[in-house]
Amino acid sequence: MGDFFQLNDLVMQFGGLTAVKDFSIELQAGELVGLIGPNGAGKTTVFNMITGFLTPTSGQVRWQGEEITGFPVHKVTAQGIARTFQNIRLFTDLTVLENVMISFHQRIRTFFWEAMLGFPTYRREEKRIRESAMAFLQELGLAHLAKEKAGGLAYGQQRRLEIARALATRPKLLLLDEPAAGMNPQETNELAVLVRELRDKYALTIFLIEHDMKFVMGLCERIKVLDYGITIAEGTPAEIQSNQAVIKAYLGEPK
Amino acid sequence: MSKERRNLLLNIMGILVLFVILYLFNEYGTDYQIRILNNMAVFITLAVSYNLVNGICGILHLGPNAFITIGAYTSALLTMSAAEKQMTYIIVPLVWPLNVLHTPFVVSLLLGGLMAAVFAFAISFPVFRVRGDYLAIVTLGFGEVIRVLANALQGVTNGPLGLKGLVPYTNLWWSWGVAVLTIIAITKLINSSYGRAMKSIREDEIAARAMGIDPFKHLLMAFLISAFFCGVAGGLLAHLITTISPTLFTFFLTFNLLIIIVVGGLGSTTGAVIGAALFAWGGEALRIVERPTDLGFLKIPGIPGMRMVIFSIILMLVIIFARRGIMGRSEFSWDWLLSKLGWKEKGF
Ligand SMILES: Nc1ncnc2c1ncn2[C@@H]1O[C@H](COP(=O)(O)OP(=O)(O)OP(=O)(O)O)[C@@H](O)[C@H]1O
Ligand SMILES: [Mg+2]
Repeated sequence: MGDFFQLNDLVMQFGGLTAVKDFSIELQAGELVGLIGPNGAGKTTVFNMITGFLTPTSGQVRWQGEEITGFPVHKVTAQGIARTFQNIRLFTDLTVLENVMISFHQRIRTFFWEAMLGFPTYRREEKRIRESAMAFLQELGLAHLAKEKAGGLAYGQQRRLEIARALATRPKLLLLDEPAAGMNPQETNELAVLVRELRDKYALTIFLIEHDMKFVMGLCERIKVLDYGITIAEGTPAEIQSNQAVIKAYLGEPK
Repeated sequence: MSKERRNLLLNIMGILVLFVILYLFNEYGTDYQIRILNNMAVFITLAVSYNLVNGICGILHLGPNAFITIGAYTSALLTMSAAEKQMTYIIVPLVWPLNVLHTPFVVSLLLGGLMAAVFAFAISFPVFRVRGDYLAIVTLGFGEVIRVLANALQGVTNGPLGLKGLVPYTNLWWSWGVAVLTIIAITKLINSSYGRAMKSIREDEIAARAMGIDPFKHLLMAFLISAFFCGVAGGLLAHLITTISPTLFTFFLTFNLLIIIVVGGLGSTTGAVIGAALFAWGGEALRIVERPTDLGFLKIPGIPGMRMVIFSIILMLVIIFARRGIMGRSEFSWDWLLSKLGWKEKGF
């Protein structure tokens, strides 16, 4: 068994509601895996358990051979797992560039008093952060918007900025929660190309949630399907498309 | 010349001009004018450091009066001579080692700031477990606790009698020197990666955590730095007023600071400076309304507290009609001023 990333029998209960039940998956480095399912199936809850926003009722999150279940969110990020949010969560009153620069803060080497006293050590680091952040914006075609307030961007651009920001934390595993939501077909196509490029360029492993079936089927190598918190299918896009349980979950029982 | 160097030069010139003006007031100004200027400087220090927590981190902290009290008492106890202390503490003698400690003014200010930061650290764990209204209530409670302690711990604070006859060390150089240093240090912090991290918590704490920011660490940092400067300002106030007692720094003071930073523009250091300056000046100018007035045909008795009514009305008007205050979240910049003055970029 590879020990890149594993979820073992994750369970999440909210009072009487079991949002996720016995969810297990293993990801190999470099894979591009999809997680689909109807609304309220528990997909985002899985992401929240991985990133530390929720502590699973039971089960384990294992990363690089170590258990990280229940780690504080910022420590999970420091371990190399980054995410985007389904309901975009940018720092709206800060500039596009600042949004990305924040992701570099976790690795800062100078101390706050060096910043307060205007030490050259701090100024050099600030310059380096600024330049690296610009490079990520370039990568995602947002460089020309660097000085704009993030809240003023068009919807598709905000989704891209979310990805740029996550990428700037230098993850090994990137979790994308409905990255194509609200995009038009052309933007969605561009996004699929971009996701594959980023995976190759940064040697990423990508785990993504998406409702756009064309996007998921075209992009993912492997797909897992959740319904009412229970895994009802997994396999290649072709297998999932012809799976009776999946069709039933999406279309309901044939009358 | 690069823009950076130009701005540095303009900053230095600005500070020089400020100190020339202060020199002129010091030589030729009336006591009244000098008192207003001292108050202005102390309130600028307080407002700028208070804004770091409330405006930049987006936390509703209602206890700066506690840190001002701690700084004021610490600093005062350190500058009083052993003989003075013996004469002052008539009911309960001052505990060792405070009864023998004696330091120069500048050391007492620094230790006042440090002591305030130590107390801030001590309460930080309960404070930052909660957010929003709960955090406001916890910090408000701490302010009250300190006031009660200042009353009760007679062996340290001399209780309700307070400390009298402090040497009026605080002059224009001290008060404005500290104000300028505070503005520089806090502005540099706000514009740094640490400041960005604080703003990201204000904007969206969940997203900030996901980007690797530890909220506790950064809120604590802002809280301690803010407490330090409030403590230093407390020391300045003590040696400006020369008499301190537990009733001097109540929630009332916190409320005034809140008015200052909201009217100035929450999250703007420039706004905090403008708000503090207006408040210190307005507070004196509006004394008229508390004085009995004789209009010949009509005699209006003085109404104590009338100024506060006016400030509260201003606060309400700002909140209803101009919620972002004078500056919003914008800052003063030379670029802006030069372009307003019609400066052509190619000049440099
Ligand atoms: N923090 C929470 N407290 C209580 N219930 C929750 C919480 N988070 C999620 N739930 C519930 O768990 C279930 C799964 O929610 P989740 O957000 O994971 O669904 P999802 O698959 O991401 O759906 P969508 O496609 O609509 O985003 C839902 O019934 C939701 O109401
Ligand atoms: Mg979801």
